[in-house]
Amino acid sequence: MNNQIMNNQGLQNKQQMLKDIGIVSFAVVDLALYLDTHPTDRAAMEYFNHYNRIKTQMEREFSRNYFPLTMNHAESNREWRWGAAPLPWEGVCD
Amino acid sequence: MQDYKFDEFPDKFPVAMAYVPWQRFNGIYDDLEKAYRIGTIFPELNKPFTGRRCTS
Amino acid sequence: MWNYEKRLQFPVNIKKPDAKLAQAIISQYGGPDGKMGASMRYLSQRYATPYKEVAGLLTDIGTEELAHLEMVAAIIYQLTRNLSMDEIEKSGFDKYYIDHTLGIWPQAAGGVPFNANQFQSKGDIITDLTEDMAAEQKARTTYDNILRLVQDCPDVSEPIKFLRAREIVHFQRFGEALRITQDKLDAKNFYAFNPGFDTNGKGAQK
Repeated sequence: MNNQIMNNQGLQNKQQMLKDIGIVSFAVVDLALYLDTHPTDRAAMEYFNHYNRIKTQMEREFSRNYFPLTMNHAESNREWRWGAAPLPWEGVCD
Repeated sequence: MQDYKFDEFPDKFPVAMAYVPWQRFNGIYDDLEKAYRIGTIFPELNKPFTGRRCTS
Repeated sequence: MWNYEKRLQFPVNIKKPDAKLAQAIISQYGGPDGKMGASMRYLSQRYATPYKEVAGLLTDIGTEELAHLEMVAAIIYQLTRNLSMDEIEKSGFDKYYIDHTLGIWPQAAGGVPFNANQFQSKGDIITDLTEDMAAEQKARTTYDNILRLVQDCPDVSEPIKFLRAREIVHFQRFGEALRITQDKLDAKNFYAFNPGFDTNGKGAQK
């Protein structure tokens, strides 16, 4: 699953990439809550490290190509990119 | 009458307290997109609402 | 402090507005078992929590609840987008519209405004975690009730199913936090003192 996400990244359109970021970020959140109550579980930690790394890479890639997902990726030159990014609650028209 | 197991772990679980069993790590869904739709990556925590009594 | 991610935790893309449904689902925004109360409950309780693992869990679940608050708001926003005056009157949304137009405001399905009495921060970790477990179950029941209303509307039921599943995961984690708390106390009498107040056993004395 994750290899597939990584390999296809360059080809994927904006919506697919945003969805993949949602999927990987969700795994990170669910693993984090598990680790909060199981702080010495090495197997869960390995999963967390793996998906957390992928999440960071994908966010960087997405922010470079489309719009900054976090302030960390909002460096701007001519226009303030953070402010120009779409509002999440508007949803997508298809 | 239902047969309740009154003698279950009396020493480990003193009365007048609530206990949820510890979850052990049994891996996560291979298909993370499916896990996302379900709302958890842990198969053992997937307990969907069916609105019906027969759910096999 | 917090950082914002400019995306929803789970996508919300509702094509057809439905003001009647919006009035039911708004309870998960500002109702008695809604996300406003959930996020404030966990983020308020964590200060008096004596154990840092438990305070960490309250922070992380409280943070996820803020993301859910945003998802529920997005559902209501999209269900009430581009409503005609005719739809507003026929759906019974006119009463809400008079006070808020289409602004998102925390209230229960019955119109009762959000109130901090809908959650507790008791300063006693056993009490607070027991409340948190009940809160997750109450929210889960509310989602069950919503799901019966939205069976034919996958645009709404998919994000609602996601939110419902999170209640069960959070219940499990709060249960484990209670087990962590029990391990730090004397099993002969869990209630002998409040570990968040009676430090060194002196708290109860003058």
